[in-house]
Amino acid sequence: MTATTVGPADGSGSGDTAAPAARPSAVTAKDLARSGAVRRRKSARLKIWIGSVGVALVVLPVALAGVLPIPGPDEQSLSLRRLPPLTGGHLFGTDQLGRDLLSRVLHGGQVSLTVGVLAIVVSGIIGLIAGAAAGFFGGWVDTVVSRLLEAQLSLPLLLMLLLVVALFGPSIPVITFVIAFAQWPEVARLTRSLVLVEREKPYVAAARVLGLHRITTLLRHVLPNVVKQASLVILLLLAQAVLLESALSYLGAGPQRPFATWGRIIADGQDYITTSWWLVTLPGLVIVLLVVGVNLLGDGLRDRARRRKGPQTEGKVSRA
Amino acid sequence: MVRYVAQRVGQSILAIFLTVSTVFVLVRLAPGDPAAAYASPLATTAELDRIRAQFGLDKPLIQQYGIFVQDLFHGNLGTSFSFQAPALDVVLSRMPYTIMLAVSAILFAAVVAIPAGVWMARHADTARELGANVAMIAGQSMPEFWSGIMLLTIFAVLVPVLPASGFTSWAGLVLPTVTVGILQIALISRLVRREMGAGFAAPYLTIARARGISERGLTWRYALGNSAVPLVTALGTRFAAMLNGVVVVEVVFAWPGVGSLVVRALETRDYPLIQATVLVTAILTVLVQLLIDLTYPLLDPRVRLGKAVAS
Amino acid sequence: MTLSPLAACAGPGSAPGVGSTSGAGAGSGITLALNRSLVSLDNKLNQFDAAVTVQRGVRQALTFIDPKLTVQHVLAERFELTAPTEWTVKLRDGVRYSDGSPVTVEDVSTALQMYQKVPGSFLAGLFPEWPTVTPVDAATFKLVTKHPVPTLDYLMANILITPAAANKPEELQGGVGSGPYVVTAANRGTGEYTLQVNDKYWGPAPAIKTVQVRFLPEEANRVVALRSGEVDVIDAISPDAISQLSGLGDVEVQQVPSTRITQLFYNFRKPAGHPLADPRVREALSYAINGPSLIKDVFADSVSPARGVVADTLTGAVQTGEYVYDPQKAKQMLDAAGVKDLKIKIIWETGEFANDTSVMEAVVEMLKAVGVQAELQQFQPGGDISKWRQGRGGDWDVLGNGYPGPTGLALTPLQGMFAGTKEKEATRDTYQGYVFPKIAALLEKASQETDKAARESILATAQKEIWNTWPCMWAFVPKTVIARRKRVENVLLSPTNSYELASVRLNG
Repeated sequence: MTATTVGPADGSGSGDTAAPAARPSAVTAKDLARSGAVRRRKSARLKIWIGSVGVALVVLPVALAGVLPIPGPDEQSLSLRRLPPLTGGHLFGTDQLGRDLLSRVLHGGQVSLTVGVLAIVVSGIIGLIAGAAAGFFGGWVDTVVSRLLEAQLSLPLLLMLLLVVALFGPSIPVITFVIAFAQWPEVARLTRSLVLVEREKPYVAAARVLGLHRITTLLRHVLPNVVKQASLVILLLLAQAVLLESALSYLGAGPQRPFATWGRIIADGQDYITTSWWLVTLPGLVIVLLVVGVNLLGDGLRDRARRRKGPQTEGKVSRA
Repeated sequence: MVRYVAQRVGQSILAIFLTVSTVFVLVRLAPGDPAAAYASPLATTAELDRIRAQFGLDKPLIQQYGIFVQDLFHGNLGTSFSFQAPALDVVLSRMPYTIMLAVSAILFAAVVAIPAGVWMARHADTARELGANVAMIAGQSMPEFWSGIMLLTIFAVLVPVLPASGFTSWAGLVLPTVTVGILQIALISRLVRREMGAGFAAPYLTIARARGISERGLTWRYALGNSAVPLVTALGTRFAAMLNGVVVVEVVFAWPGVGSLVVRALETRDYPLIQATVLVTAILTVLVQLLIDLTYPLLDPRVRLGKAVAS
Repeated sequence: MTLSPLAACAGPGSAPGVGSTSGAGAGSGITLALNRSLVSLDNKLNQFDAAVTVQRGVRQALTFIDPKLTVQHVLAERFELTAPTEWTVKLRDGVRYSDGSPVTVEDVSTALQMYQKVPGSFLAGLFPEWPTVTPVDAATFKLVTKHPVPTLDYLMANILITPAAANKPEELQGGVGSGPYVVTAANRGTGEYTLQVNDKYWGPAPAIKTVQVRFLPEEANRVVALRSGEVDVIDAISPDAISQLSGLGDVEVQQVPSTRITQLFYNFRKPAGHPLADPRVREALSYAINGPSLIKDVFADSVSPARGVVADTLTGAVQTGEYVYDPQKAKQMLDAAGVKDLKIKIIWETGEFANDTSVMEAVVEMLKAVGVQAELQQFQPGGDISKWRQGRGGDWDVLGNGYPGPTGLALTPLQGMFAGTKEKEATRDTYQGYVFPKIAALLEKASQETDKAARESILATAQKEIWNTWPCMWAFVPKTVIARRKRVENVLLSPTNSYELASVRLNG
């Protein structure tokens, strides 16, 4: 809620610069270009750009890993072990079994990204339903959901995740579910607060007067208004999902071999840090590049959405 | 106030009890045999049965649970299988290290992140802020185990100035603290920046400025003061989460805290130890959260006056 | 409340210096980093090799297996076979504990009882039967067994002696021993211990005054800590760590062949008619494994190829053959046996041997080259592998597994692995279902033969018979490796991966 009412956040007091250009004004075009709103728009655009480039740099090669002219991820050549990057046609060098590191990172990325995307779909659906129900119906539904959200805060989350993976085996569905379990509270909390605001709007009252069932109102009218805003958080969750998956893999709770996920490639390479820096550094940089990209993209999109909504609220404030 | 605290404590006890019970069932459902982990790999079936009986694992789950609950009320968390010592003692011998790391990391994060956030808010929407923002996002985007290994490689291998593992001197605290801190700094500084941004725009600040209060005073007393509640909430929640064990970082730096203990307890299917760890960390987490709640009236006069806090 | 242990155990002031400038305890102390947590100071349960080094620093046994795998007398002055089922032992004059009290016959008798009472003891499997103590005089006693146990002097090296009154049927966490060191600080939770020289030690005083023991589970940490001088000796290091450390001026890597054998062992519970029930198929698959390449490239020569069914360092082991890499022959033999499109599942537990995953991933590719499709299933420590090994978890074909030779005798692992019987198989207590009555009978006979030459000849026959059943797809003998700072000298590393702390010296 505070998110939608961010005013011109400039300390130097250039608060009311959104004057209509038609009227004679001391505000020059140059001033306008330097104004907070314009600069914010620029920075949002820049973030989206940098973010997209970062994501594309990782996602495209990962998606195309099968058709790129690189060796297969499991092709070993024991005599070509731990070659440094850029030798013998291996852009990222080779690992402890002489496998092409780039190929392993890209194929591993397919697993990591699949898990990440599936996880946010699952957590998104659960969080959206739970949060919307809690916000819209209030009462005991809200109490139950809110208590669950609170309870999860005091859970030793990583321990529970490791336990569940041990319990059901380290398969991709299990790991997906486990990450979704870790993430649904964030979506639920956001959705709940958005629905709380939406619920008080006149159209909901109108729907009630028209005799629409409450569930119909929620599904047909309230949710569509909320989904777009809630979906902005999804990209940020994807970033977290990728990080969480890599942490689980690092701790040995990743998908069963021979799947080479990013976390496992790094964990395997950890034993070689003093001699073969690339085994840990490069896969890590790929993760960082992707996650920075996703985060920037998410941030930029959120800034832009905020700006679009922004002027109305700002207008109201300045007129008041 | 007293009623509020009592209600919170009651709810927390229930939540902790449910958590520990869930863990109790989950560990027993998980594949793996504590007896096999405890005995030598060459132990015979008959021997394994004897060990299971000794651990009380031959009884039906319900009965085991009954015994567990009964013991719990007597403050007895059982004997760790792998340490052959009271599980609570083992956890408490490790807890100080985790607390130390958590305190050090949260202090480090606060000391760096608050000024950084304020700086970003004061330079809002400039290229400098964008740069700082991207740097913070990068910090937030690094897997902790990776940044840990990288720091270890740089400061313990390439330029060996800091110890790589464990805690034998205060210097050993540096790398784990920084590793944990990187993520926290990124999250907290961005939060400060957001809250301050909102604060700078608020009408009361314009009035304060009109009254001739210096920019510095405006920044630190007014705008930051107004962000105190969300800031303390964030710091407290992050701190509480760290008490659950900074698992990954503890593993990377062989830190003798509860996080690496949990990983080990899982590997040996040491049920009493897992349960004791969960119980102790859950209690600490809840206590910290309660403390945060109790600081709100000190930080925000509106709460003192009995009005709701904007969440 | 929770902070008080911190003050007690974690005060950095008391710890040795850290960092690149000073080695740990640059004065007269050394720091050892173990890969597993030392939770007790005796070995009733916690029998992992490096722990023995520390445990023996504090507690001693009647005998000791030296680096040449021969028996040395410690607390015993005399340890002789005086009748087929009777050994006569005399305690050494003047042996006493760190509190000054003498070691008595009753202490030995109690120790044996306590070791028996611990369920799941590693040692129970080593003793064919437990001897009983019959006192003769104040310092002399007889160890009596029902059947001949001609190797009892080797086995008794594992029974650590503690004052009878203080001994319990559980792992002892503290207490006194007769060894050259006493424990002055211990934190079981973190696996950190401080040992100081025992002023009342009955033998020659050790050169090193203080020994710190630390627990660093990750190899990367141990290697980095050794490089920077935070610790002085690390053990259980992998081939990669060896290559990382061998170029450094102030670090020395020390290796000796171990008594362990690591195998890719076939599942012998396959129904008749299954390809793997056919020894020709088991043999054929062994030709698919490029052993020399694995040893050179994956293990960096830190293991030696197995030339028999147990480690050839062991007393009584013989060479029976070698694993040969010949993929052509593998294909031909598979064709001849009528096996097509064979699919096998290989299981193992993470960390069972050095570079386990690399080896397994390499093996999959090697098998693929001869048309065999292998699937890997890796178990996390604590997982269900023991159930699978017993054939109760799921079906598998090959197990990656290490088998120790803790007594220094070939007989111990031979009996443990290959003396399976129908009765044992009924409770799934055989080694992966290996039941060959003829071999079991030979081993039984050898175990009771008191004449050394006759015993070894029976054992040699048994080992050849075992080799011909092709129990393994491949096997190797890992080397026992430690790495130490060069200032630490005279580490007499034994193939069983332990060394005497008392003989270690410091240079400068």
